[in-house]
Amino acid sequence: MKPSPLVHELTRLVGPDAVLWRPEDLMLYEYDALSSALQPQAVVLPTSTEHVVSVVKLAVRENVPVVARGSGTGLSGGSVVTEGGIVLACARMKKIVEIDVDNLRARVQPGVVNMDLSLTVSDHGLYFAPDPSSQKACTIGGNVAENAGGPHTLAYGVTTNHVLGLEVVLPDGEVIHTGAKHWDRPGYDLTGFIVGSEGTVGIVTEITVRLCRKPEAVKTLLAIFDNILGAPRTVAAITARRITPAALEMMDGFTLRAVEEAFHVGYPMDSAGVLLVEVEGLREAAEENADQIEAICRENGAREVRRAKTAEERELLWRGRKNAFGALGRISPNYYVQDGVIPRTRLPEMLEFIEQVGQKYSLRIGNIFHAGDGNLHPLLMFDGRYPEQSQRAVKAAREIMTKCVEMGGSITGEHGVGVEKRNLMPLIFSPDDLEMMQKLKDVFNPRGLLNPGKLLPGGKMCGELRIEASTGGML
Amino acid sequence: MTTAVEAAQSEFAAIVGATRVVADSAVCAALSVDGRTPRYAVYPTSPEQVAAVLRCAADHDLAVIPCRSATKLGVGNLPRRYDVALSLKELNHVWHYEPADLTVTAEAGMKFGDFQQFVGRDGLWLPLDPPGGPRGSLGGILATNASGPLRLFYGAPRDVVVGMKIATTEGKIIKTGGRVVKNVAGYDMAKLLIGSYGTLGVIVEASFKLFPLPSERATFVLPAGTLGIARDLRRRILQSALQPMRMVLLDAVAANLAVTGTPLAREVAEPEIWVEIGGSARVLERCARELDELGKAAGAAACRLEAENADIAWTRVSAFRTWLPEGFPGVTILKVTLPDAASEEFLSRAQQETDNDKVRLASFCQLGVGILHACLLEAASAVGLVALIRRLRTAAQDLGGALVVEHCHWDIKSRLDVWGPAGDDFAVMAKLKAVWDPKGILAPGRFVGGL
Repeated sequence: MKPSPLVHELTRLVGPDAVLWRPEDLMLYEYDALSSALQPQAVVLPTSTEHVVSVVKLAVRENVPVVARGSGTGLSGGSVVTEGGIVLACARMKKIVEIDVDNLRARVQPGVVNMDLSLTVSDHGLYFAPDPSSQKACTIGGNVAENAGGPHTLAYGVTTNHVLGLEVVLPDGEVIHTGAKHWDRPGYDLTGFIVGSEGTVGIVTEITVRLCRKPEAVKTLLAIFDNILGAPRTVAAITARRITPAALEMMDGFTLRAVEEAFHVGYPMDSAGVLLVEVEGLREAAEENADQIEAICRENGAREVRRAKTAEERELLWRGRKNAFGALGRISPNYYVQDGVIPRTRLPEMLEFIEQVGQKYSLRIGNIFHAGDGNLHPLLMFDGRYPEQSQRAVKAAREIMTKCVEMGGSITGEHGVGVEKRNLMPLIFSPDDLEMMQKLKDVFNPRGLLNPGKLLPGGKMCGELRIEASTGGML
Repeated sequence: MTTAVEAAQSEFAAIVGATRVVADSAVCAALSVDGRTPRYAVYPTSPEQVAAVLRCAADHDLAVIPCRSATKLGVGNLPRRYDVALSLKELNHVWHYEPADLTVTAEAGMKFGDFQQFVGRDGLWLPLDPPGGPRGSLGGILATNASGPLRLFYGAPRDVVVGMKIATTEGKIIKTGGRVVKNVAGYDMAKLLIGSYGTLGVIVEASFKLFPLPSERATFVLPAGTLGIARDLRRRILQSALQPMRMVLLDAVAANLAVTGTPLAREVAEPEIWVEIGGSARVLERCARELDELGKAAGAAACRLEAENADIAWTRVSAFRTWLPEGFPGVTILKVTLPDAASEEFLSRAQQETDNDKVRLASFCQLGVGILHACLLEAASAVGLVALIRRLRTAAQDLGGALVVEHCHWDIKSRLDVWGPAGDDFAVMAKLKAVWDPKGILAPGRFVGGL
C-alpha cells in the first residue's frame, strides 16, 4: 500500500517519524475505552504547537476532519473518528513547561500524563487534584477536553476548577491564549468554556493548572455492609451531618468480588457492598472526621469499618477501586458503563431501580459509584456476540439515564457526551438550549472540521459506533 | 415625534404592567451610569418577562443595562448608550432547596444576605464574601464573578455554580448545566456568563452547591511591620499544614479604616495580616499555637479576635466597597490580579508611586489568591491620577498581572480603558458577544475592548 497525497503532505510538515498511515498502525486509533468507530486517514504525533498549527491548516485546506486525542482512555467515544480525517495524537507533547512552586502553578503540554504531573511536583508537597481512575494513563489534555473528574473531586472540584489558562489552536490555524497564570484576567472566561468542550472548539496545546498542597493527614476507611442499601443511606447521612470527605466511593458486592478475585486487595468476599471513604486535612481534623464517619457507618448498618493503617494499606484499598472496571472486564465479555448523576439523597432509591432494570432485561449490573457526589457508574454486562444481548443493554442503559433525568440529574457527570450520549442530550436540554450551543460552537468551528459528530445531537455518522469495552463484541 | 424609547414604553408596560415601567427621575438618577441616566427602569417579575423585555428592547434597538442592587454598576467603561435599566429586584424566589443534597436554585434578584440567612438556618452557606457585601444580589455576584478573601479555600462564584438560566436578547430562556453537583453534559455556558458584566445575556436563575458552615472559626491578627515581614509570614502560613479559610494583608491605612467605628477601633501603625481558620476547638487550638510560633519567628505576636468582633471585622474588610466610597467620595479603586507571590512586590511599588504623587493609598490584599485592591483615597487632578494608574498598571503587568479600574470618577474613564488591553483571544470574545447580543444592546461599550 502506498501513502496517500495527504500523508505525503503531512510527512513534509512534521517529518516521517510523526505520521502513521499503514492500516495496521491506524487500527490502534479506532478505539477509545468505550467504543470503536472508523479508521482515520492518518495519525499525526505532533511535538509542538507549530506542528498542530500546520496540520490544522492543511486539514482546513483539504477539508478533512481533525480529531485530537490523548491516551484514548475516554468513555464516551469522544476521541473516536466518525468521518475519517486526521487524528492528532498528543502523546509526544508531554513536556512540563514550567513548575512555579511559589504560586502553585504548572504549565504543561496536553500529552502530559495526569499522574506524572503529580509525581513530578510531589517533592514540593504538591499535587494536581483531578484524579480520574485512568490517571496513570490519561493525559491532562484529555482531562481538559472532557472536564474530567475522579474520586477526589468531591472535595476539590473537577478539572475546570483547576485550569487557569490555555493555549488553543483554532480551526483556522490561529493560536490564542485564554486566561492567565493569575485569576480573573479581564474578558470572557474562554478557559471555562473550552474546558469540557470535548475537542469541538479548538485544540489545546498548553495548559496552565493550579497545584494543591498535600494535606498533612489522610484517613482511609472501608465500611462493609451486609445490606447494600446501608451504603447509600450512610452517604446521605454523612452529607446531612455536614461532613465533606475528600472521597466517598461505593461498590456493590458483585463488583467487590470481581475486584478481589482479580487483584487480591483484601476486600471482603461475602458482603453486599462497601463504602470507601477518605478524609483529609490537619491531623486533628482528619481524626475527628474519621471517627464521626465510622460512627455514622455503624449507625447505618455497617458490620465492620476498617481503617488503613499504613500508606501501603491505603494504596491497596484504592488500587481495587481504581481497577474495578478492568476487574469486571475479566468476568464479562463486554460491559457498558454509564455515567449518570442524581441528587445524592436519592441513591437508595436509584440502587433499587437499577436492580429492577437488571431483572427486567436479565442483565448483570455492577455498581461503582462516586457516591458522595451522586455520580453513578452502573456497568451493564453483556456478551456482544449475541446482538439481542447488546440491544437489551442499550435499552436498560437508556432507562437508567431517563430515571437520572427524572430525579433532577444529568446524563453525564465526568465521562462526557461524545458520540455515545449525544442523542440523549434532548432529555435534558431544550431545542433553544441546543441551538445556542450550536451557535457558540460555530464561532470557533464554523465548518465543523474539529471532532465532528460529538457532543451535540443530530448529524449523520459515516460508520457505526461500536461499544466494545473489554473483549471484542459489539453493541 | 415620538422616539423609539417612548414608543417602546407601552410595549414594556404590556409585558410587565404599567406600574413596573418607572420613568421617575429620582429612580432613574439612582440607576445612572457614568453620568448617563436611563429613560426608565423596568421591573419584570419572572424570567419569562425578563426575556420578553430583552426581546422588545432588541426590536427597538434600545440599550439595556441589567442591575439589581447597583453595588457594582459603576464597573466598566463609559456606556456608548443607555436607555433602559432592567432591574431584577422582583426575581426573588428560591426553588429546589435541598439542604440534604447541599444544592439550591435561586433567582438572580435575591439579595446575597437574604440568601445566606435562608440557607444558614440549616447550617449551610455559599462560601463567598464578595465586595458588595450582603446587599449585593446573586445575579450581580455572578455577572461580575465577585469574590473576596474566602476564595483562598472555597473558590470563586465560577466554582460554586452548577447550573444557570439565562434570558437572551432573542427573548429566549437558555439553560446550562443542571441542579446536581457534577455534570459535564453540553458546553458550560455558565462560565461565559459569569464575569461577563451583563454584556451577553441576563442571568435569571442559578443553581449552587452549598457548603456546611465550619463548626467553629477563629480569626488571628498578626502585625507585619514591613512588607518583607509580610511576605515571610504569608509564605510560612501558606506552606504550613494549617488551611486558612481566608487571609488578608492590610496596609496600616486600610487596617485603620476597617476597624474605625467598630468595637475593634484602635490606632494601627503597621501592616497587618488577618487569618481566619475553621474547624473544631481542638483544631483551632493547634492553629493558635502554630500561628503564634510562626508569628514569633517573624517577629510578630498573633492575637485572636473575639468571635463577634471577628465577624464584624471580616464583613468590613471583604465588603470594603460598601463603605469606603462614603468616607472618601473621590476614591479610585483598582483591582490588581497577579501571581500571588508577587503581591508584596506590587504593594511596595504601589507605595512608592503613590508616595511620589502624594496620594494616600489603602490596600486590601487577598493572600494566597493573588487579588488585591489598591484604593487611591483622595482625588488628585484627573491627569495626574490617570498617569498614576497607568504606571501602576505597568507595574502589575511587569509582574505578570493585570489591573482593572473598578471605581473612579467617570471623567477618568474618558481618558483610559478601565479594563486594560485585550489579548489575542479578543476576536473570539467579540464573535461570542455577537452571537448572544447581535444588536449590541446589552451594556454597549462597557466591557473589555469596548464590547
